[in-house]
Amino acid sequence: MKSVREACVISVVTGLCGLIAFFAHPKAPAFHVDELEVELEEVLRFEEAFWIDARSDEEFEKGHLEGALSLNEERWEEQIVDFLDAWNPDAPTVVYCSSQACLRSHEVAERLKAELGVENIFVLKGGWEKLAEVEIVERATQ
Amino acid sequence: MRRLGQFIEIIVGAVFLWSGIAKLLDPSAFLSAILTYEVFSYKVSVIASLGVPYLELCVGACLVFRVIIVGARLLAVVLLVLFIILLSQAAMRGLDVDCGCFGSSTKSSESGFFWPIARDVIMLIGIGLGIVAGVNANGSREK
Repeated sequence: MKSVREACVISVVTGLCGLIAFFAHPKAPAFHVDELEVELEEVLRFEEAFWIDARSDEEFEKGHLEGALSLNEERWEEQIVDFLDAWNPDAPTVVYCSSQACLRSHEVAERLKAELGVENIFVLKGGWEKLAEVEIVERATQ
Repeated sequence: MRRLGQFIEIIVGAVFLWSGIAKLLDPSAFLSAILTYEVFSYKVSVIASLGVPYLELCVGACLVFRVIIVGARLLAVVLLVLFIILLSQAAMRGLDVDCGCFGSSTKSSESGFFWPIARDVIMLIGIGLGIVAGVNANGSREK
C-alpha cells in the first residue's frame, strides 16, 4: 500500500521534528507539571495558605478568592513587588488559574520556584472552576 | 477536473501549513486548547501539542509542493476526521472549548462550533475531490 508507506514516512519525519522541538523549542511545554498539583480538599486541610491568582487582570477584577494576590505573566515585574511584600514563607503558596486546562498557574508556580526559590508551592487542581464548583467563591470579592 | 483537484489540494495544504505554523509559535497555547477538550491526559496532550503542528506542516508542505502526495492525502483525511470528531463531541457535551484550530485562544462556544466543523468538512471534501481526480505528484492518474 503506497499510501500507508508514504504516510509512515511523513509520520516518522513528524515524530523526529516533534522530538527535537520538545528539547529545543523555547516554548515547549513541560512533560511533568502535575507534580506541583494539589487537590482542593488537601488545600483546605492546610492551617493557612497564601493564595495567588494567576488569571488575567480582567478575570481577577471580575472576582477572586478573598485574600488572593494577582500575579500573572503579563504584569510580572510590577506584581512581583506586591508578592514579595505580602508573601508569607511559612504558609504554603497555592496558585490557581481559570480551569484544569489552563497552564498559567503552572507557569507562575514554576517561575516563583525558579526565580525566588519558593519551595512550599502548589498548583490548585481544577483552578477557579473547582473553587466555584464547591462554592468557595462565595468568599470572593466582586 | 485534474487541475481543479490539484488546485483545491494546494489550498487545503496552505491551510494546513498556516495552521501548523500558528500552533508552533506557541505550543503551550495549543496544549491549553487540547486540554479544554477533556479527552486526552496531560502527557498525551503534550505529545500532541508538539506532534500535531509538525504533522500539519509536513502534510501541508507535501500537498502544496506535490511530493509524497498519496501519503499526505491519507494523513490529511485522518487529521480532518479526527478534528471533526473532537469538535463534534465537544459540541454535543456543551463544552466551553478553545478550538485551537489556528493557535488562537478563541472559545468555540462563543462563535459556535459550526464554522470550525464546516471548515474541516469542506477541506475533507477538497481532499476527496483530489483523490477522485487522481491527482499525484507526477500528474499521472492513480488506480
